[in-house]
Amino acid sequence: MAVCTVYSPHSLKSTCPIPNTSRIQLGSHQKQVIFFTRRKGGNYRSNKLSGTITCEANTIVIGLAADSGCGKSTFMRRLTSVFGGAASPPKGGNPDSNTLISDTTTVICLDDYHSLDRYGRKEQGVTALDPKANNFDLMYEQVKALKQGIAVEKPIYNHVTGILDSPELIQPPKILVIEGLHPMYDSRVRDLLDFSIYLDISNEVKFAWKIQRDMAERGHSLESIKASIESRKPDFDAFIDPQKQYADAVIEVLPTQLIPDDNEGKVLRVKLVMKEGVKYFSPSYLFDEGSTIDWIPCGRKLTCSYPGIKFSYGPDSYYSNEVSVLEMDGQFDKLDELIYVESHLSNLSTKFYGEVTQQMLSLSNFPGSTNGTGLFQTIVGMKIRDLYEQIIAEKKGSSLQAAKM
Amino acid sequence: ACLNPASSSPNTPTDLSTKVSESIGKAQETCADDPQSGECVAAWDEVEELSAAASHARDNIKASSSGPSDPLEEFCKDNMDTAECRTYDD
Repeated sequence: MAVCTVYSPHSLKSTCPIPNTSRIQLGSHQKQVIFFTRRKGGNYRSNKLSGTITCEANTIVIGLAADSGCGKSTFMRRLTSVFGGAASPPKGGNPDSNTLISDTTTVICLDDYHSLDRYGRKEQGVTALDPKANNFDLMYEQVKALKQGIAVEKPIYNHVTGILDSPELIQPPKILVIEGLHPMYDSRVRDLLDFSIYLDISNEVKFAWKIQRDMAERGHSLESIKASIESRKPDFDAFIDPQKQYADAVIEVLPTQLIPDDNEGKVLRVKLVMKEGVKYFSPSYLFDEGSTIDWIPCGRKLTCSYPGIKFSYGPDSYYSNEVSVLEMDGQFDKLDELIYVESHLSNLSTKFYGEVTQQMLSLSNFPGSTNGTGLFQTIVGMKIRDLYEQIIAEKKGSSLQAAKM
Repeated sequence: ACLNPASSSPNTPTDLSTKVSESIGKAQETCADDPQSGECVAAWDEVEELSAAASHARDNIKASSSGPSDPLEEFCKDNMDTAECRTYDD
């Protein structure tokens, strides 16, 4: 239950200059602030609010950054599964909505904050990766409002038609996930995030994945896939890639080192880079925290066929931050044997012994279930649940203390 | 030689599929003169966006038709009371 108070420097009746197009409704069930007016051409412009609204809400915000076609949606479904319940698009709304809602979690796609639609970008000769094509003011205001427990009318970017559709109402959830190209680009939005993740796919693997995704499509060829990746690369390197220095966890996906000259992208080397010293987040480790360890679990207790499995763990530095890195190269043959690996990992934030394995088994048809991408995404999901529970517990504790005073 | 998903994956909706191939054609045309230009880069970005949309649409079709749900489950959604569909929790 969110408790909201409106502070206004003016009396609301007489001088409050809130335009007609924005409404404020505060009540026990309806809390809604609309921050923008619709203009011709599908652009949105924010209005200044005269008062400030503070709310004691329990929404925590997670940012997930990755390029298009890099498995954001798989990660999202793994994360919502950790919290229980399936995620589905808003019922009865726009069929092309990018939002996913489950009992605890709402996932919004940051493409919805494009300021230029597909035709606008073409006219100006910019890509969706370019900050000029995105409205960070509206992104900041709406994410901030949701974090404060206020519902917002969020625009919808339609990926099929390439235009901005009429907005949909988003209620403040317990956990808000913002996923897309720029969740950590704007420093104001970055400061709202309770946790941030970057999916870092190496160029070789990205190319292999896009071939698998697009080769069946009429008109696509190796040349067109290559040309598309190459032409987006300068903008990617300039605007998307630098965000990884701000992430609390980075999942790096690289070609395997177990098979010489592998370029199929089926066997992967996956690194989970975890920042040290982040509040509510303590990195997982292998055997002994802080040591450097190489571990090949294959043998009597774990069946591995060629090329086998290799784990590594150790401290490192990443963009001048102190980090712990957990790495898995190779893939599992039998997913239930993952329990052997899980039993040697510590600080997983599971609720019971074997929870990571059980999660992986229940989603065994998802991409990445037999390699490190699925394993590390599941571990990050557990870590986010733990973070959420710690924040809620702390808030309850402090409000109890305030009540006693 | 190792990759032939065309035969196994379900088809993209035709209008999207047409859009993808049209956008590829346009991008190749735009980039013929100057591959560094803003127009060229924006054109390939559109290809990527449409390819991603097509792939999501394929996944949705797969999930709703041939995916985890089998013919019996489809039937039981509409006919919960028939003998082959009844389940009791206790």
